[in-house]
Amino acid sequence: MSTSRILWLTSGILLAWLEPWAGWNQALAESLSGLEIMERVEANDRAASDSAFNRMQLSSCRYGVKDNRITCAERPRIKSLESVGKNYGPEGKDTRSVTIVLEPAIERGVGMLTYAYDDSEKDNETWLYLSALGRVKRIASSNSDDDSEPASVFGSEFTTEDTDTGKLDEYSIRILEETTISGRDVWKIEMIPGEEQARKSRYSKVNYYVDKERFVTLRAEMFDQYDTEIKRLLAERVEQVNGVWLARSLTMMNLVSNRLSNMAFLEMYTGVEVEDDFLTTRTLTDVPFRETELENLRLQLD
Amino acid sequence: MRLLLLLSCLDLVLVCNARAVEAQQDQSSQTETDASYDPDAEFSFDDDIFAVAFDEESTAEKSWFDDFTIRISQQISGQVNSHRIDFGALGSLSKPTTVENNRVQINIRYQNAFAPGWLLQGTGWYRLYWDQDYMAGNTEIDSHTESQINDLFLQYSSGAHSFRFGNQTVVWGEMIGNSVLDVINHIEFRDFTIIDIEDARLNQPMLIWDYYGSDNSSFSSFINLYPEFNPAPVRGSPLFFDTGINLPDYNRSGKVLLEAGTQWKKSFAGSDIGLMVAYLYENQLRYDPPDSGSVDARPAINDFLLLGFSANRAIGRLLLNFDLAFSHNILANSFAFPGTSTLAAPVNLRKDQIGTSFGLEYSIDNEQDLSVGIQAQKILDPDAGLPTGQTLVSDEIFGNWLIRYSNNLRNGDLLFSTTLQGDLEGDSFFAALGLDYTLNDNWSLSSQIISITASAPSPLVIFDQDLRIGATLTFSF
Repeated sequence: MSTSRILWLTSGILLAWLEPWAGWNQALAESLSGLEIMERVEANDRAASDSAFNRMQLSSCRYGVKDNRITCAERPRIKSLESVGKNYGPEGKDTRSVTIVLEPAIERGVGMLTYAYDDSEKDNETWLYLSALGRVKRIASSNSDDDSEPASVFGSEFTTEDTDTGKLDEYSIRILEETTISGRDVWKIEMIPGEEQARKSRYSKVNYYVDKERFVTLRAEMFDQYDTEIKRLLAERVEQVNGVWLARSLTMMNLVSNRLSNMAFLEMYTGVEVEDDFLTTRTLTDVPFRETELENLRLQLD
Repeated sequence: MRLLLLLSCLDLVLVCNARAVEAQQDQSSQTETDASYDPDAEFSFDDDIFAVAFDEESTAEKSWFDDFTIRISQQISGQVNSHRIDFGALGSLSKPTTVENNRVQINIRYQNAFAPGWLLQGTGWYRLYWDQDYMAGNTEIDSHTESQINDLFLQYSSGAHSFRFGNQTVVWGEMIGNSVLDVINHIEFRDFTIIDIEDARLNQPMLIWDYYGSDNSSFSSFINLYPEFNPAPVRGSPLFFDTGINLPDYNRSGKVLLEAGTQWKKSFAGSDIGLMVAYLYENQLRYDPPDSGSVDARPAINDFLLLGFSANRAIGRLLLNFDLAFSHNILANSFAFPGTSTLAAPVNLRKDQIGTSFGLEYSIDNEQDLSVGIQAQKILDPDAGLPTGQTLVSDEIFGNWLIRYSNNLRNGDLLFSTTLQGDLEGDSFFAALGLDYTLNDNWSLSSQIISITASAPSPLVIFDQDLRIGATLTFSF
């Protein structure tokens, strides 16, 4: 068993041992500021993406309401994805990840490599492998510069702004109230982007509902410049994965277009040994190299 | 002309990659077509409608069929503007309304990483031509059917090295569709609308060696063991123009031809660059007039040396692309459009040529993209070696421009695109509108309107005032 594997298993055991002290943990949580709470939330997110191997399903549909329940008004379109990521940088706040489409068949093999930087001075970088053209292409989007617009994640209602972490210092963060969501005690936290971040964001503010015990966002409401809610994020299936509390099902509702996308994390593994060479454009084009490396990753999970 | 075709190809390729094409249906999903939603109201929600994914067995046995991707397409397209093109003293050409393509095509892709480090990949198509299709009357095929194998190669990767052997393509350059460096694969000029890029871009038997450095750099070298040339347009196809002279293939007569080249690429923050050098044969055969008493033009081949540089730079939503090519010893009087200007006066001069293609891609927002590109080429020292009174057919800068806009809606299910293109001399103008709709998990429908306006000396003059409409229905699994 690799050293890193032992490390994350150990951390999982440690967290499990600390579980009875949740009451003490909650007492500590009561004294946290909005910024400190969101830092804890982001630390969870980063832990989930570091040296991680995930299998995901991304479903999108037009939605409506039936019997007071939100439901798909058409058969959802489904993409099956596999992703590998690793954190870099002195504080592990930069992320390199590669995502490959497994289904639908016609998109099979389409891959995307992303280098996301925490430093707002550095543009994020994205390369896409176009299997029909047989070449890798750098993509002009998903950047973090002043003028860029968040890019859609594989054509879904999720954008890179929704999935990115970091840059919390560029927001004004405050706790609005303490309430409950689905029976869980939560903080309702308002995040308003600063002047610089506002130019990059589609949202004038976001309200997060953060589980007070688990530091997981259970719901988020995104508002436009007219203070109208335009998108809503709903989290389900909150589970402890490798010692970290995470939502395995995220649904983003676009309240303007009446469409939603659900991102289901079917399998999540962290602490796997990911070679740096794997997170390069070679993985997009060299299929036998990619499959061999993926097989090596899968073997670590057994 | 080549650019025209590639644009058509590109439309389809980009559509294929951009749209959220069909996926397996979640049989347990609730579907309510009459549902409506008031965002101000509070409604309950749970992810039960997507829950089946969590219940599926993730380690399901892999089926041999998983290695296949199959698309079955019915395509129909035709020229709908009945008109006549006047060539003055040379007469006129009647262009009646006619169906050009009416066919079923099956595209099969096989990709199997059958052992650690090994891959076998193959692609091909099989076509059934209905009576209205121009190929149905072609005497070179039997039973209204035709098939072709495109990719078919074996790949082995180990450490920093990767080797591929078999039929494959090599694409150089940053500009998609009109790069001056994308000259290694030969092209078939047959249809205005195609179903798959490889219906037009043809493969060749090659040995390719890739070496990946640890600093985001790579070397890719190839040897083409059997260089091939652009086939003449199929008689009866929209791109066939009857000059009364046959354009036969090149007869190698046992002569061994080889092409070879290497490319070095490196990625920097926000930019990729590439340097390349290659010894190649011009894809387009040059034809000399027939011998006395023959109707067969005499094909000739020409080898040349290519030096290239490519680069891109991402600046926010903007991506700048640049390709530069220096071609040593190309035939000055060869053109890319077979059947007309390739049958040129036999000047037989070898010249150097410099060419560039550059452009930008601008991501307007998540749904809309705009790209602009220009390709320009110039033969260097055009008058040197010419007999008195002669000039080269192209002694000035020549090339083309293109603008493409696309807008995808409904998470990519509906894609609208428009392409405008013309030559730098202003002698031809091409406009295409495309609408692609993914109907459900397996079915998609694409449609296209293409309009061409051209005047002499553009070779596109034989398509002046043509208006083409086409649609393709595809079932994929």
